[in-house]
Amino acid sequence: MQARKPSASHRPSQILDTLKRLGFGVAVAVPDSWLGEILVRIEREKSMQLVRATHEEEALAIACGARLGGVRTAMFVQNAGLLSMGSGMVTLAQRYQFPLLILVSYRGTPEDPVFYHVAKGRATEPVLRGLGVAFACADRSRPIGPQVETAATFAEEASSPFALLLSQEDVRW
Amino acid sequence: MVKDARPSRADYYHALAKALPADALVVTALGNASYLWAAIHHVPENFYIEDSMGLALPLALGLALAQPARPVLVVEGDGGTLMHMGALVTVGAVRPKNLTILLVANGVHAASGGQKLTNAGLDFAELARAAGIRRAKNLSTPNELAANLKSAHEGPQVLVLSTAPDIEVVRPPIAFDPVLAKQRFMSAIEAPRYIPTLFGGGRLEREGGTQRKP
Repeated sequence: MQARKPSASHRPSQILDTLKRLGFGVAVAVPDSWLGEILVRIEREKSMQLVRATHEEEALAIACGARLGGVRTAMFVQNAGLLSMGSGMVTLAQRYQFPLLILVSYRGTPEDPVFYHVAKGRATEPVLRGLGVAFACADRSRPIGPQVETAATFAEEASSPFALLLSQEDVRW
Repeated sequence: MVKDARPSRADYYHALAKALPADALVVTALGNASYLWAAIHHVPENFYIEDSMGLALPLALGLALAQPARPVLVVEGDGGTLMHMGALVTVGAVRPKNLTILLVANGVHAASGGQKLTNAGLDFAELARAAGIRRAKNLSTPNELAANLKSAHEGPQVLVLSTAPDIEVVRPPIAFDPVLAKQRFMSAIEAPRYIPTLFGGGRLEREGGTQRKP
């Protein structure tokens, strides 16, 4: 049976299509339930290599290494991972000025009131501000592709990581 | 006082400098792993990490994926390896043929003053094999290191170097500026550069304007 092609308004497809169009060659990920399927789709792409890391700080370093080697690199992590990669973010990604696009499943917001995610949702944006990481929350009223492109462009033009915080409908395939 | 019979980091580094494969890229972890390597064999194709304990290995993994035609060697300590031991599992899953891990096993956290490791008796070669890296050996002489570097394209491989601790900080002969180190390295490997949108870019391009194929 042939897989049905996602509609043009399917936001996870827009994310993947944008990464391919911008020449992203590597994606490094630590999955959660929202990210699981988009990572499978990335694995099927000939132009991209997916690395499944064991920890988000490790993923950050892999992404820095791939970018050091001249390949545009995106990360897919849950916001729990943003909280656990703080040291590497400060001492490696920011200190060495690596441009990295970090696509984040933003759990524990008022729209995702799962009891064990809420604490992470509460801490995410203050921690990003404290670390000095540029970030934006994706706007669900606008197409997601251009927002991913703007985030990727910011990372490169600023030579710094940029975190785009995504809702379930943005990233869950 | 009984002298430590194990070779020093400098002994291994001199052997490494002589036996380094052509076109090799070298990533070094924090402390003397970087400072001493800069003193013995500073070239633009070295990427020195100054802090970020435990992240030299995963960074080298990403570099090996991005530069598959070049041997990538990473010098990491036993303490740093323990801090992010999951990276061994990721290397064992991805298996980049061009990655060689030189694991300096001195049994202490040398860069922070020589504190004991959580467990200094671990067999790191056995750990690496359990993590999926089939080629993993415990070495005890610089000559063995040189001999094993001949197969740097048949990796991934882990070479565990039994080493006497070096606690005294070596003064590097060059400035350790992180952004300079990164730019010097990327220029040496002719990595494509980002062209700003102001100039109609928004992409990585090779010098001369050739766009990188994704």
